Amino acid sequence: MLKMTHLAKVYRTEVVETYALRDFNIDVKEGEFVAVTGPSGSGKTTFLTIAGLLETFTGGHYHLDGVEVSQLDDNARSRIRNEKIGFIFQAFNLIPDLNVFDNVEVPLRYRGMKAAERKQRIMDALERVGLASRAKHYPAELSGGQQQRVAIARALAGSPRLLLADEPTGNLDTQMARGVMELLEEIHREGATIVMVTHDPELAARAQRNVHVIDGQVVDLAEEPRFHAHAQAAHS
Amino acid sequence: MQIRPILSALRRHKAGTILIALQIALTLAIVCNALFIVHERVERVSRTTGMNESDVVAIQNRYVGTPASYVPLVKTDIQALRAMPGVEDAYATNAFPLRQGGWSTGVQLKPDGQKDGVQTALYFGDEHALKTLGVQLIAGRNFNAGEITPFNRDDRPAPPQVIVTKKLADKLFPNGDALGKTVYYSKGRPSTIVGIVAKLTVPWTEVDFPEMVTIMPLTFNSSYQIFLVRAKPGQQDAVFRSVAKTLYDVNRMRVLPEKYGVRTFEMVRSRAYEKDRGMAILMSVVCAVLLAITAAGIVGLSSFWVGQRRKQIGVRRALGARRSDILSYFMTENFLIALAGVVVGVVLAIGMSQWMFTHFEMQRLSFTYILVGVVALLALGQAAVFAPALKASKVSPVEATRSV
Amino acid sequence: MFSYYLQLGLRSLRRNPMLTALMVMAIGFGVAASMTTYSVFRATSRDPIPQKSDVLFNVQVDNWGPENIKKNEPPPALTYIDATTLLRAHKAKRQTVTYPIGVSVIPEDPARLPVREGAYATGADFFPMFDVPFLQGSGWTLDDDEKHASVAVITKSLNDKLFNGGQSVGKQVNLDGHLFRVTGVIEDWAPQPLFFDVPNTQGFDEGAALYVPFNRAVDLKFPNDGNNNCVSEPGEGWEAYLRSECIWLSLWTELPTKADEQAYRQYLTGYAAEQQRTGRFRWAPNVRLRNVVDWLSVQEVVPPESQVSLIVSLGFLAICLVNTVGLLLAKFLRRAPEIGVRRALGASRKEIYAQFLIEAGTIGVAGGLLGLLLTGLGVLGVGLVFPEPIARLAKLDPVLVVLTLVVSIAASVIAAFYPTWRAAQVQPAWQLKSN
Repeated sequence: MLKMTHLAKVYRTEVVETYALRDFNIDVKEGEFVAVTGPSGSGKTTFLTIAGLLETFTGGHYHLDGVEVSQLDDNARSRIRNEKIGFIFQAFNLIPDLNVFDNVEVPLRYRGMKAAERKQRIMDALERVGLASRAKHYPAELSGGQQQRVAIARALAGSPRLLLADEPTGNLDTQMARGVMELLEEIHREGATIVMVTHDPELAARAQRNVHVIDGQVVDLAEEPRFHAHAQAAHS
Repeated sequence: MQIRPILSALRRHKAGTILIALQIALTLAIVCNALFIVHERVERVSRTTGMNESDVVAIQNRYVGTPASYVPLVKTDIQALRAMPGVEDAYATNAFPLRQGGWSTGVQLKPDGQKDGVQTALYFGDEHALKTLGVQLIAGRNFNAGEITPFNRDDRPAPPQVIVTKKLADKLFPNGDALGKTVYYSKGRPSTIVGIVAKLTVPWTEVDFPEMVTIMPLTFNSSYQIFLVRAKPGQQDAVFRSVAKTLYDVNRMRVLPEKYGVRTFEMVRSRAYEKDRGMAILMSVVCAVLLAITAAGIVGLSSFWVGQRRKQIGVRRALGARRSDILSYFMTENFLIALAGVVVGVVLAIGMSQWMFTHFEMQRLSFTYILVGVVALLALGQAAVFAPALKASKVSPVEATRSV
Repeated sequence: MFSYYLQLGLRSLRRNPMLTALMVMAIGFGVAASMTTYSVFRATSRDPIPQKSDVLFNVQVDNWGPENIKKNEPPPALTYIDATTLLRAHKAKRQTVTYPIGVSVIPEDPARLPVREGAYATGADFFPMFDVPFLQGSGWTLDDDEKHASVAVITKSLNDKLFNGGQSVGKQVNLDGHLFRVTGVIEDWAPQPLFFDVPNTQGFDEGAALYVPFNRAVDLKFPNDGNNNCVSEPGEGWEAYLRSECIWLSLWTELPTKADEQAYRQYLTGYAAEQQRTGRFRWAPNVRLRNVVDWLSVQEVVPPESQVSLIVSLGFLAICLVNTVGLLLAKFLRRAPEIGVRRALGASRKEIYAQFLIEAGTIGVAGGLLGLLLTGLGVLGVGLVFPEPIARLAKLDPVLVVLTLVVSIAASVIAAFYPTWRAAQVQPAWQLKSN
């Protein structure tokens, strides 16, 4: 489903080159639930933005659903984001000017769907996260947990093959976090592929497989201390 | 003040900085030139004619039919006008100041008629002309009744006696001894300067000989006559209303055109400077709206910057910046941008003025105007940024700890 | 998608009513100032007779010599000698001489006062040459010109005044005691600029109510009511005036083809050369044959006030645009997080462009409507700024309405290009990564 080989990401400024990812290899199979862990600045978020085609990479290969994505233009990348990928962010990233219904509608609009189908899908997704009754509310009128559930509904509405989550519970209290986590597990059980970035070991433990990233590379947990010593603050 | 950190911060907001500076530059260029046009036009509108303009009524008359001579008709009309209640004096002429139409010719010192001479406007009149116009005779004498002769359209205007303005006298005789001298308005026909008046302007507002005037003791033998009437103080309106009826009662075979047949001198003046007044109004309005829009633009963009930098401001406050430090930061920042703007603006203003000078024969922009414009725009910038800067100074240090 | 973007745009504009109002006002004022001054400029610079302006030619002959003219430009009118000689030569398809005459019309009813009317002395060719629209009868004939006939063409207004608008062909008009027979009634025709008499009107005038044959007017010594310029003394009396070097007549010719024009130019140069040979001109032939548009341009009929105010207004619009660019930039970049989310959810750059340009377009439409209102007020108020003969030409016609809207929308979309480009450059990842 998601396969990166020898992937590299370099940030260049006038004075310095910083490797955010180097010789990064990962292979996520269809239907897997993978947690990517690592310390702050290890490159795990960079991995997620590249995986979600939000950013380009500098070297290596990335096959998404069997397609090599490095040569795609902005339009094609936008299309893939829209149709195959669903995002869940730590800060929810709902658009404050739009109400719940309109927020969930955004990706469907870009897909050019008919109004009736859009409405059906939005209501299904909101039903799914238990917020159908809040369709007319604005994000500011909802609790953090509810906002994140709207964000999940927005991610689900387009029936993506791959769900990318970045610290999905980072901004939530324990109880709300548990609710969101249970929702993700349920979605996984229904067949979605999920890649979740987190620094919370407890959360990571609930995934099928853990991948640990340090200093821009996937490492064996046993070798961690050696790298930890000079883990630098790459772009985060 | 910490100018260097402000400059480096501005470098990170290039687009916004350039936009404000550009707007100030363009505004300066337009406002300087527009205000200068206003100044130029107001100066023209406020020029005096040398006449005592109050209580004067001008009548444009055309006789109908073809009598052997128009002179008796003119005499009868003038007598009727002088006899009107409320009338001080009156005379018949061919033109008067600000009329925008009249006669001009060259006058010279030699009888041969070879060279062009000095350009002068010609006003016909009789011994009542000076009193009716209200001009001041500063040397010599007025015409006397015996000197007034008829003048036919095809004649050359060159009577034995003339009265000239001081400007014309001095131009012809720079030593100031013009009185009693002989000059030539037509080849071989001498005219003696018998009187000099302090000031009187030509009928046109856009010529390069504005005060070169000769008054000639002639009565125009033509169907076309202008009567100037001086009313007694306070009687102008009464005369203005009844003068047409008086003339028609004397003789119906005449036309007083609907629009400009009978006019008070205020009406004459207002029409003569219509274009100038219009330009002055238009340019003033443009300046006012322009300054308002530029000020509003600065308020808008500054507010945006303040909003964008709330967290940064909070951090500064948390690190010990006083409110006044934040206020002066934004004020200084605006001043620096405005300064860059006015530097470019001065160049644009001069360029625009130069262009208008070559294309429309306008005067060149004076430096006073540029200076006034520069000061005005810097002040405008400071005034406009004050509210957003004040808002910035009220940002709480707590903002530093908030995420967004 | 258009309606979606439109909806988003309107929603966004409603969120910052002050900022939106500021942008709408900037566009509205800028466009209104430009359109109002443009309406005057358009009126003063238009082609008064587009269907024929390239085949009608004004004739100039330098009879004054290099000492008395500026920039080698021959005087703007002709002497009686030159005008009548060229006229009689019949070298053009049609030709006519004109000069304004000052006459008063005496109504038949003795109870009514005489009226003064603008009038021209001209030839029979005048009417077909200039496509003068007739309501009754027709112009007089070339034969009438030859016979110095006392005939006249009057306008509808004068016909209304004198004959209560009835059939008046064949009736008599009394001009200063001379009777003229009416051959035709025309509409109140006065093309603006009044191209055939620029030297006396500066191009803008209500026009004449009456036309009489040139030959007859000269016989009756109808004085020239326009400018009369002499470089030397004409001598005394009407006959001396006709023989003088004073210029006061306009000569217009109709030359349908390039070849005709060429031939006439040659003829004109030949005529001037002939005058040089006989000793009347002491200089080489200096003649001009200009079509309507060139003639109006050389005579500078567009008042400098009109040009200066148009230029200043365009500068004003430019400043309003810069202002709008700044405000849009602020508005769009404030929404960087929203742009990031949209990009992440699958919006391509193109879609971001479309969304923000449409938002700017709605500002343009609002600005255009305000601009239209202000232009309407401006056109009504043109009389405060420009003299009446010019002010009355400025009109808010459908072309100006459409132009105002188009310019507003175009201006705001152009102003939106840079801010939109910046908005589309927003990297989705950067906005989402850090909180």
